[in-house]
Amino acid sequence: VQPFLAPVIVSGSLHVYVSQTDRGELVFGASVDPFTSYSMRGSLEFIEGLAGHVLELMPALSKVRVLRQWAGLCDMTPDFSPVMGPTPVGGFLVDVGWGTYGFKAGPVSGEAMARCIADGRAPEIIEAFGLGRFGAGELVGEKGAAAVGH
Amino acid sequence: MILIRCPWCGQRDAGEFHYSGETTPRPDPASATAQEWRDYLYFPANPRGQVTETWYHRMGCRKFFTLQRDTDTNESRPVGGPQ
Repeated sequence: VQPFLAPVIVSGSLHVYVSQTDRGELVFGASVDPFTSYSMRGSLEFIEGLAGHVLELMPALSKVRVLRQWAGLCDMTPDFSPVMGPTPVGGFLVDVGWGTYGFKAGPVSGEAMARCIADGRAPEIIEAFGLGRFGAGELVGEKGAAAVGH
Repeated sequence: MILIRCPWCGQRDAGEFHYSGETTPRPDPASATAQEWRDYLYFPANPRGQVTETWYHRMGCRKFFTLQRDTDTNESRPVGGPQ
């Protein structure tokens, strides 16, 4: 498909995102299985549901053919938000648990983690995502940020 | 298609069910500490392999039941119930 889409389009209500590569292929992102699984397999139901949502967003894509689908592991935390910052182990920092939106938020999380390493403490923007939030009962209401899979 | 056997309704499409998580004993509200509640709510064992879970047949008999499932292969069988 001729390039027509520069930004990544995300729909929170349709649980889908659409991106186009420089070669013209379209990448559709979706959701997680509705139960814990390590199988890492795609399925017909899944691709059927995703295609339906893509067509609601962009009906003009109805003649596009599917080349491939793939599935991986989504490391979901109890509040669907990442864990970022220092840990009780000195010099050991984490930036994990990105679940369904890691590659969209990767660049800015890298900047924040670099700041965290340089300063020796979490910058304000990621303070709320610390590992201690589960023990403290201060979960992050971040479901809107990913817009898919929750 | 993933099929799950409801102990009352038989084999059905997994889409009819709601996954309620690992079956773990609920802490006693009268005596549980905050830490016990947090462990119960946020720290499942999350094994790769056999796990005992609670599922809800939301589009069928609307009963909760116990399912033994392999999280690697998604093969499962109900525990208890008539079937």
